[in-house]
Amino acid sequence: MARSKYVRAPTTASLPGDLRIPSSTPSLVKTFSKLTRQALLDLVFQWLDDRNIQNFAPYLQEVNEGTEREDDGDDEGFRPYPAERTINGVRNAYQELQFRKGGKREVIERILDGDWRHGVTLRQLAMVDLRYIDDHPSCLRWTALELVQIGVLSSNNPSACIPRVHASTFLSGLQREISPLVKAHYHLGRLTSLPLTVLRVFVTTSPYQIASRQNAESLTDSSRTIYVAFPDSCPFIYTSIASSPVASKAGSATQNSPIATDSRSLQRLVRDAIPKALSLPHQRYTLKPTSLTAKSLEALLSFRGPGRSNRAGGAFSIFADAALEGSPLDPRPSSTVSPEEHVRQSTSHHLNTPGGKENTAADSEEVSYKIGRPPKRSLANIRESQISKKRALALQARFGSSGALSSAPLDRLDVRLLDALTGDAKTEEHAQQTPISLTFTGTDVIGGFRKLAELGIVDAERMPSWMTGEEGVSTVVVREGKRVTKAGG
Amino acid sequence: MSTPPSLTTEEQAEALDSEISTIRAELRALHHRRRTLTTSLLSSRPLQRLAKRHQESSPSQPIRTPKQWADLSPLLHASSLHADLNHHRIAFSTTAFPFTDPSPTAEARNLLGVRIDICAKDGRYTKPYYILLRKVQPPMPVTGDAGQTKKPQKVLYVHRHTIPAVVDLGTLERVYLPRAKGSATGEGEGGDVVQGTEEEEEAERAQLKPWKHKVRPQNLSGFVREVRRQLVVWHLRCDGVRYLRERLGVVRREAEGAGATGYGEEEDGVWERDVLAEGNQETRIVKNDLGIVALGATALEAVYVRVEWEDGRVGRFKISNTGMVERAVVMGDSGRDKLMEAVLTGGNGRLETLLDRLRKHASDAKPPASVSEVASETASEV
Repeated sequence: MARSKYVRAPTTASLPGDLRIPSSTPSLVKTFSKLTRQALLDLVFQWLDDRNIQNFAPYLQEVNEGTEREDDGDDEGFRPYPAERTINGVRNAYQELQFRKGGKREVIERILDGDWRHGVTLRQLAMVDLRYIDDHPSCLRWTALELVQIGVLSSNNPSACIPRVHASTFLSGLQREISPLVKAHYHLGRLTSLPLTVLRVFVTTSPYQIASRQNAESLTDSSRTIYVAFPDSCPFIYTSIASSPVASKAGSATQNSPIATDSRSLQRLVRDAIPKALSLPHQRYTLKPTSLTAKSLEALLSFRGPGRSNRAGGAFSIFADAALEGSPLDPRPSSTVSPEEHVRQSTSHHLNTPGGKENTAADSEEVSYKIGRPPKRSLANIRESQISKKRALALQARFGSSGALSSAPLDRLDVRLLDALTGDAKTEEHAQQTPISLTFTGTDVIGGFRKLAELGIVDAERMPSWMTGEEGVSTVVVREGKRVTKAGG
Repeated sequence: MSTPPSLTTEEQAEALDSEISTIRAELRALHHRRRTLTTSLLSSRPLQRLAKRHQESSPSQPIRTPKQWADLSPLLHASSLHADLNHHRIAFSTTAFPFTDPSPTAEARNLLGVRIDICAKDGRYTKPYYILLRKVQPPMPVTGDAGQTKKPQKVLYVHRHTIPAVVDLGTLERVYLPRAKGSATGEGEGGDVVQGTEEEEEAERAQLKPWKHKVRPQNLSGFVREVRRQLVVWHLRCDGVRYLRERLGVVRREAEGAGATGYGEEEDGVWERDVLAEGNQETRIVKNDLGIVALGATALEAVYVRVEWEDGRVGRFKISNTGMVERAVVMGDSGRDKLMEAVLTGGNGRLETLLDRLRKHASDAKPPASVSEVASETASEV
């Protein structure tokens, strides 16, 4: 008896958030075990919250059905985690886990084999992934893209060109754009550690509603997941999609062949749809590369974010951090106040701490800083005496407060030097034409340069400005020590 | 056997450590206070006057305490200079200063710095905003064949700035500091990220038809005035929204509330994240007689404010640059609530008196219940 229910037809609908992935899927354990025990418990409590319980209903033992009770009873015998009868029972079970010490393993097993044995929904999976990003802001490589309004140059309207994002309108726009091409599941969430709204898009190739059994593994495939982060009120977005040259190459490939179903071109489809979904009539946006790719979201936020440091990196970070001068109400001459104190004071002003008078607010932080590492302080003192005063001054002038007070670590810096080497240029004519490519990688490249200059290996005064992080880019083309932009070169 | 004494020593050490840290904190606070007091004393007017008088009369009486005054005078001098600087910053709000670009490869190392100080609602000054301008001699136009014999003037570029993205400095620069388009190509190498391909095209067009693209003169004071105006307006809007929230009353969510005790108390309010507040803490509006459960700016620019009532109505209004409630939309379950919209935009239209208008409306609408049909309807909803 073939049931008509199982007729599958291609649709343009998005993947429903309550599509369940069977909890026996092995990759689920891997996904869940990325999180810490506390994070898992937090998520479970969120799912069991009164407002969310309909969306994340746990498996409950049915009480009133007499016929199936025996079956259930048999089944329960094999299960390590018997099903609870009420939601409060489930909650109590996890609260017990919360108070007890133990590994995360038992929590994961309880979720997958116990209360969500009927399957974990796509939405739950998305929440797990977002929570992971929240806990590990450097787990992905992010590329910053700029939203540019098309044709705004001609109009002389001096208002900020930041598109207003209304979440559901944007998502329906995105769905409208990409639904004929890919089927996707969307999840929009806010990070708690950083001021970012993250959109997680999971794309599939099939236009059919997925029958969960056979494609369960593909539903947890991380290469089909795209993250787009929206910082507050600034014309930039960050994507986890690989850098633009590769994408454009893929673009040329897909123009030749109409069907491209690899995950990269699916990602490109989503990326292309984002500016269109943000556009309004008479207000069209396009994405422009900003040559910044970094692992750390903090770096992206400081160089392409809503704050003050977008166009004031390197030597000019003293202005961004307001480390140069105090507020006009500060009676102390600014030369007598250390930059650290300026920064601390201005931040405490900003935070508006209750009772934050000038005399008290800044001090508690400083003490904790001082008490926290007294040996380092003394070591630093010794080292400071070793460094010549001149070098320290040059360091301060070139790097400002970047790398010391504020941290925006770039993990990779690609440089292309178009100059000829000065020494060899006379002997070899060829050397003038060969550009040199340099790649620096590490946890904090600019901080590393600063360290080198501090140790006297690099002369801080003669460093070109791209080495001090002034440009705020991770890919730079240099001629005569100056950055060449695409428009100029 | 040996654990209990070691524990007690540890405890002792801990207690001592905490004591030391509190004493250090106190010391630091006192140090800080002393410095503030010393400098304010030094810059105080009576002392400055005394010093001036002493300086004038010092040749006549060189014997009496000459050493102390000599020690003090550089400090006095420095603090009086600083006080003057501060007075300028407070009075004019926009000050200029020279700055030297430390980059060895920069073509113009002398930068013109502009500092903008803005006073916030609570009497404190925000972090100063800076714009650093570069003055560059544009290269002689290559295609300047007809009548372009005179030497091109130096043009100003925004080199670096700390203006947040809320104020679109790029557009303002294009409007107020237009450059000769012919020089754009030469300048593209100068590390100017803003320049796009469209500008390039425009430059080409300008080279082809120079009479069509007459370059307006650069207007630096206009530029700075407009930037400052937009910054001030932004801060005023933010302060306005904060003021409304404060008047309604804001509760911060405790960190542990998400865990064990989180259930069951959701009905008394909507936890939301305040965009304008530092940090990502969730806040909630205190239960009030107006029935507003949420009020907050929708984005960092604080142009649009979203209001939510406890009966499910959602409103959104726009704050104009002059602090008026410009437009308002209120949607309920049964469509738009035009009366509430009129209340939001009515009266004198000021943002600051919004809550008074709402309160007045609520007190007007409730007792008679027959002013108009719509009024009674909303009253029953509330």
